[in-house]
Amino acid sequence: MTYKTTILAALLSATALVSAQSVQAADPIKIGVVTPLSGTYAGIGQQVRWGLDLATKEVNAAGGIMGRPVELIYEDEEANPSVAVQKADKLFQVNKVDFLTGTVNSGSTLAVGQVAERAGKLIATTVSFADSITADKCSPNVFRVNARAGQQSAALAVWLSKEKPKANVFYLGPDYEMGRSTVAAFKASAEKVGAASTGEVFAPLDSKDYTQYFGQMRAAKPQVLYTSVAGNDTVRLLTQMQEFGLLNNLTVVGASGTVTAQNLPAIGKAAEGFVTGVGYSAEIDTPENKKFVAAFKAANKIDPDLYGADSYGLIYAYKAAVEKAKSTETDKVRTAFNDLKWQTPQGEKTLRAGDHQAVQTMYVVRVTGGKFSIVGQVAGTDAIGPDACTRF
Amino acid sequence: MADALTRSMRASHVLAAVLVVASLGFAAFGAASGDTFYLRLGTEALIFAGLALSVDILLGYTGLLSLGQALYFGLGAYLSALVLMVTPSFWAAMGATAIGAVVVGTIGGFIANRVRGVYFALITFGMAQVIAKVVYNTRALGASDGLIGVPVIDINLGLFKISSASPVGFFLVVLTFIIILYALAAYLLDTPFGRLLIALRANERRVPFLGYRTVTARLAAYVIAAVIAALSGALYPMLRGFVSPELLFFATSGNAVITVVTGGVGTLVGALYGSILLTLFKSVVGSYTEHHLIVIGLLFMGAVIFLPRGLMGIVRPVIERRLNRGAKS
Repeated sequence: MTYKTTILAALLSATALVSAQSVQAADPIKIGVVTPLSGTYAGIGQQVRWGLDLATKEVNAAGGIMGRPVELIYEDEEANPSVAVQKADKLFQVNKVDFLTGTVNSGSTLAVGQVAERAGKLIATTVSFADSITADKCSPNVFRVNARAGQQSAALAVWLSKEKPKANVFYLGPDYEMGRSTVAAFKASAEKVGAASTGEVFAPLDSKDYTQYFGQMRAAKPQVLYTSVAGNDTVRLLTQMQEFGLLNNLTVVGASGTVTAQNLPAIGKAAEGFVTGVGYSAEIDTPENKKFVAAFKAANKIDPDLYGADSYGLIYAYKAAVEKAKSTETDKVRTAFNDLKWQTPQGEKTLRAGDHQAVQTMYVVRVTGGKFSIVGQVAGTDAIGPDACTRF
Repeated sequence: MADALTRSMRASHVLAAVLVVASLGFAAFGAASGDTFYLRLGTEALIFAGLALSVDILLGYTGLLSLGQALYFGLGAYLSALVLMVTPSFWAAMGATAIGAVVVGTIGGFIANRVRGVYFALITFGMAQVIAKVVYNTRALGASDGLIGVPVIDINLGLFKISSASPVGFFLVVLTFIIILYALAAYLLDTPFGRLLIALRANERRVPFLGYRTVTARLAAYVIAAVIAALSGALYPMLRGFVSPELLFFATSGNAVITVVTGGVGTLVGALYGSILLTLFKSVVGSYTEHHLIVIGLLFMGAVIFLPRGLMGIVRPVIERRLNRGAKS
């Protein structure tokens, strides 16, 4: 519980209104972490924390950043943007952090990005998927080191065009804004690489019975089904399809949240052959990743997921940028971040200067024998897509 | 000789005056030390105090438990954000919000006031959930991401201008605004109309025998509460520069009810004190432990069991007695 004592110390120094903070060589570099530690997304926040803690421990053991130790200060954002903004304000104004990360839901990242802009600080997200963060709503003060939704669907589409060229694809999404936009995004990438769309249908969230859509699906004679339902909806959809014999000669692909370690046991055999595109998998067979997974498991007794791995990688990105800039000043670090290349468990990543989005190798994973295994890789440049940021 | 209600409201006014003096001291201290965070936190507490005030008008005076007051708070926040993004004018945003709140409040009031008691609570809850889901799924309103990029504005107060980015300046603007809302509510509730609302809470069946239409009074109280909640909400995007659908969620409505119960139901000033205490408390406890929601839940339970009349239940009678002694001698 060392973070508690650091928070305590930070609070005490803040409430005592110590304004004379002359920066000495041994002063820690403070990184604020606004992440959900309670509520729906607490599980994601937990992985973020484990990843950051592990990397910070390693960096500090190796002498810190420019001889200064790294200190993480955590605040719970409850996955609520209005709480996240308040906490970010506190970390910037009271704790005087040099850098901030941790936001999970895209609304929080966007709102906290704006706080950072007004405070003249930099933030990075390691989790948020929404394309808009590094596209039409991009900010000069916001970076993203994880793969965005567009990269995941582009990787999947590229794999699809190789494995099943000119396939007939049917789409089934959950009927809400996010479900519709993920289907639209994948449809666009799939059609670009030659797939033919044979129809689409949207089922209400938490549907109990998907059989009503099976007639339409059958009539469309698809070779591939794309779905972006999640959680228990996937369990019902896939098991019902199996009961109706619809899974024969059909490749089911989906969003990265459709089949996860959580619902995979419940889906059982019906998940066999499911394919998705991801930015990280613990199965990646490189020495760097094996070392990372072993260290992560030793510390937390559980495998890292993409959130843990991307958060772990961020600390090294920040270290590289600060050492390149020889400073923690916002403008200098921002310049150092532009086109920065650094090593992460999933290989080398590059932060594109045009939109602050990390470019990385994408992986295609398939469920085989009840476990995910990597079946393909897509080069970062093939999955990234055009730079749609016009603000800087 | 003033009646019991007027006397206890006088005690509330004394407490409100104490709050204003304390806030001014806090603002002066904040300005002197160059603080930003605590002033902004205080501003946020006052904004949510406005929402709690609207809950107290319904719960403490009319006897209606609204579990969906966030609907109007969010309505004000979104309307204000949309107006500010087109034309950065404080008064345009406030005007649009007031009109929008009267219209939506009247429609909502007609629906909710068809029923009473627990059904009223449920229907207000339901309406807020429906609107929250609609906003959550509307691309034009930013969907689940909310709207960012609400500009910093200069508030034109005739003689001078105050920027919403100035921590002290905006704190004082919000303080003034919330105190005006408090004074208006207190004035209204002291008129015969206010007495009618209290009569509704005491015994709604007997009110028609006195020659009053209960439906009109209930509807009016509902619309007034809606306008107060919306005007408070309209200040939110000016402070934080964004709005998100979470502002419409039950957590916001529920917090407002907790605030009023902790502060003291039916005292008006309790809503203000409750909000400041709760906001400050959440911020401090939240920094120490991730189990802060449990701590706050336990404290709320403690408050309900040991202080059934809220914080004001202890403080206000003392002041009342002092005032009475002063009046007699």
